[in-house]
Amino acid sequence: MLASQILIDGFAISALYGLGAVGFTLIFGVSGVLNLAHGGVMLVAALIGWFVASEFETGPFLGAALGILAGLGMAYLTYFIVVRPIQRSRVIPAAEQEIFILTGTLLWGIMIQVGMDYLFTDNPVTMRPMFPGVVNLLGVRTPRNELMIAVICWVVIGLLWLLVNRTRAGKQLLAASINPRGLTLLGFELSNIYLLVWSIYGVLAGLAGVLLASFLGVSSANAGQLTASAFSIVVLGGLGSVSGSLVAAYVVGYLETITAYLIAPTLRPIPALLLLVLVMYVRPQGLFGRR
Amino acid sequence: MTRLIQSRGFWIALLIVIVGAAGPWWLSAYILGVLTSAYYFSVFAMSWDLLFGFAGEVNFGPTFLIGLGAYGAAILNSTMGYAIPICLVFGVVVALVGGLLLAVPALRLHGPYFGLITLVSVLLLRNAIVIFASVTGGEIGMTVPDVLSIDANVNYWYALAFMVVCAIILFGLSRSAVGLILQASGQDAIEAAALGFNVTKHKLAAFCVSAAFSGLAGGMLVFYLGAASVDTVIDLSIAVQIIIAAVLGGRRTILGAALGAIVLLLADEALRPLGQLNTFVVSGVALAVILFFPDGLLGYLLHGKEE
Amino acid sequence: MSHPSSARQALLCATILTATLGFNAAVDFGTAQAAEPIKIGVISEEAAVAGASISRAAQMAADEINAAGGVNGSKIEIVAYDDHSSAADAVRAFQRAVNQDHVKAVIVSYISEVVLAVEPWAARLHMPTITPGAASNDISKRVHDDYAQYKYMFHGWLTSAFIAQSICDAAHDNLVDKLHMKTTVVMSEDAAWTTPLDARYLQCLPKAGLTVLDHIRFNPDTTDFTPIFNQIEAKKPDVIITGISHVGVQPTVQWHDQQVPIPMAGQSSQATTSTFWKDTNGATEGVITASAASPGVALSPSTIPFTEAYTKKFGASPSYDGYTSYDEVHYIVDAIKRAGSTDADKMVDALEKTDYVGTVGRVQFYGKDDEFTHAMKYGKGFVTGVEIQWQNGKQVCIWPADKCEAKLTFPSFAKLPQ
Repeated sequence: MLASQILIDGFAISALYGLGAVGFTLIFGVSGVLNLAHGGVMLVAALIGWFVASEFETGPFLGAALGILAGLGMAYLTYFIVVRPIQRSRVIPAAEQEIFILTGTLLWGIMIQVGMDYLFTDNPVTMRPMFPGVVNLLGVRTPRNELMIAVICWVVIGLLWLLVNRTRAGKQLLAASINPRGLTLLGFELSNIYLLVWSIYGVLAGLAGVLLASFLGVSSANAGQLTASAFSIVVLGGLGSVSGSLVAAYVVGYLETITAYLIAPTLRPIPALLLLVLVMYVRPQGLFGRR
Repeated sequence: MTRLIQSRGFWIALLIVIVGAAGPWWLSAYILGVLTSAYYFSVFAMSWDLLFGFAGEVNFGPTFLIGLGAYGAAILNSTMGYAIPICLVFGVVVALVGGLLLAVPALRLHGPYFGLITLVSVLLLRNAIVIFASVTGGEIGMTVPDVLSIDANVNYWYALAFMVVCAIILFGLSRSAVGLILQASGQDAIEAAALGFNVTKHKLAAFCVSAAFSGLAGGMLVFYLGAASVDTVIDLSIAVQIIIAAVLGGRRTILGAALGAIVLLLADEALRPLGQLNTFVVSGVALAVILFFPDGLLGYLLHGKEE
Repeated sequence: MSHPSSARQALLCATILTATLGFNAAVDFGTAQAAEPIKIGVISEEAAVAGASISRAAQMAADEINAAGGVNGSKIEIVAYDDHSSAADAVRAFQRAVNQDHVKAVIVSYISEVVLAVEPWAARLHMPTITPGAASNDISKRVHDDYAQYKYMFHGWLTSAFIAQSICDAAHDNLVDKLHMKTTVVMSEDAAWTTPLDARYLQCLPKAGLTVLDHIRFNPDTTDFTPIFNQIEAKKPDVIITGISHVGVQPTVQWHDQQVPIPMAGQSSQATTSTFWKDTNGATEGVITASAASPGVALSPSTIPFTEAYTKKFGASPSYDGYTSYDEVHYIVDAIKRAGSTDADKMVDALEKTDYVGTVGRVQFYGKDDEFTHAMKYGKGFVTGVEIQWQNGKQVCIWPADKCEAKLTFPSFAKLPQ
């Protein structure tokens, strides 16, 4: 009974972690950007989705759709206001670009968090479940919403895989992540590719934010934690590796769930953090990272 | 030494310090309070800038070292009741030990991995503090029985003196022969090693210096506020402010970090009438500065648009 | 150094100097020009739903007092500071309020951590300080243990010990007598105010008729409550008694979504706010919580008029610390009138003798020889708080019986003992 609970609970939360992490690693893999405003993007999607659904009584689906749109919008804003100007800047030395992007997205993330704080207060919001009710799975009473969230996450990840491996645009993304200069030499516009990857990122992060709001609830106070969590999972899995992020998300998700159930809820984040430290010592490029 | 006295920068700095020391006579008690906190913050930022310049990597966990120093001092004071100087020394020792433990894995990593391990160190410390709440006060934070002073002026002078001494030492270090080697190692480790310098040993030393000053400043801040809590000395928001202050002021200049810290905290207070949005505006301005004036305030002052 | 560079340096120095001087002068100028109003500082968390009520309610009280002529012709001025839920910011704000803005009293926060950090400064700077919402026993215990130093601190709400006692009393009347419940699990967040709360729960719940099967404390940063609810359900208690304030929306929504078959009662501070129904999308149906006041219940003649005026002005009813904050401004002013002065020690003496009928009931403070010196007196005839249950989108008062008579109803998934 306990084992089934852990299995199901862990699966759902890991799927959600995975969705958030995949977007984060995609941006890094293709354009080399560590977006520290990641939590902020998820937050905006969640809050807008909730706001629309409750103020205009549109029901959870339309709210979720608009939330995802808001996430997409916020991703674009992040790219055009912060990342692209730094990448194209003439006053910032090329060697230090990474540091400036880190600091810039960090600042932008803070602005988003404080802005949302001002508009919505730091009270957590939850989206009405898209699939209310409970089902009995393996003898465990599980909210239907939780299961559907896991399903949605995997469907989306599957769609992403199809996009990257089977479509032309996707293959360009893949190529850009391996050798951007080579791609330019072949005549492809990197800026179009970057736009594509930020669009995908916006949808993924927006969806992750909306689903998180529906499953557990989100508040502006979580923004930093969401970024740190995605960052940790992505590094554990290997920066730039989508499959690595998914595996790492499940490792972290299950570690946390097992700790919460079998050891103590207060110690929940510890084993995952310790694992991260261990991996940093032993294999810094992560489980599936390319070096 | 004579070259120093002849340089214009030295006299300007001296003038600023004298004007600052006269603060209690021409500044209001309120601004004195803000500046007191800002001076401690300056030391945080200067220590960060030192390590940044030498390690060449962004350290997301300055608050790991600050927190260790702060809580080390606070716990010793509240459990054993030892005098403040003893507690401060203890805090420095704790921070040094922590710094060494962090440096070992950190120095083998680069780029985002370095950043991540420093970030994780902060998260681990925060969790440790929350879990051992019976000793540390947990999320609550803890109060310490002793404070430096209850007089606003005295506190101000302590902070100013502390900042000036730290600035002199840290700036001197950065400009010394050792410091220049470290700058080189930070920017091009392979070259430096090829030239025969023991890069790792020097970087380890840099970590230790940064740890010592961060820990000491953390302890001083605790005895100024009379309290230590995770949101004063550990939270990521503090780490972020430190990084922003250093980058805003001008990276790798040490003194720029102090300038950035003071400007940042003053601006934060000046915009207090905006209520919650003051952080928004300050962050927005900082963002604009790093986009258009990446050398920061001091960098712009000294080099302008020269390339 | 080249000329442009040194000119730039000089310009920057001049700018910073002028700005600081100008800023300094503006602030000083502002304070000097005002015609001697009596200032009361209010330090609170504007971004938090519970915290925002504090300064608003205080301002309302000040406006009323000023409309009636102020204090011997002097107006009351509220100086508000946002501490961003940070103890450090609160300490800085407190120092500013005392040293720069020259306030005569300070109303501070509903978060125990913040109040505990500010309290030593109230002692050091001799400033009458009062909290409208924090609960930790330590706030008043410190006053008892070191009266000479800490006498400036007052606790303007029930301490955790009394909150727990009120919940035990209500549990006895409602849950044990009426619903025949026998067992419970205590579930609370790991924070300053719940340590004494839980200690009292473990003492008084068995006396009220509920055996405590388990005691769970969770990290206030928790977002996933599934393991906790599963752990509780495994013990099969009749009711969950909560102690939550930092969290509220998430455990409530998850309790509802997972259809945990056990009712929840106790203290859920967020559930006392009128927006909680919307925040949880109605998941809070059936949740019981202790609160300072309930809509439509006249704890005193001023309760309902205040609630209505506040709701009209701000679009939502006040959270529990709005009531207490409003009362505090009134009885601080009352103390100033009785003392005939704003001298700190005289104000403290006058405050100790407070006997004021506020929106939450009759306010008096315990004395030097009582365990919780300067805490609010608890009991029939003084302040007991109320218990409310969310029913169909409304907060319905269910206790004490002499003020409220509503029936308890629970969502279908919550199983009651037969």
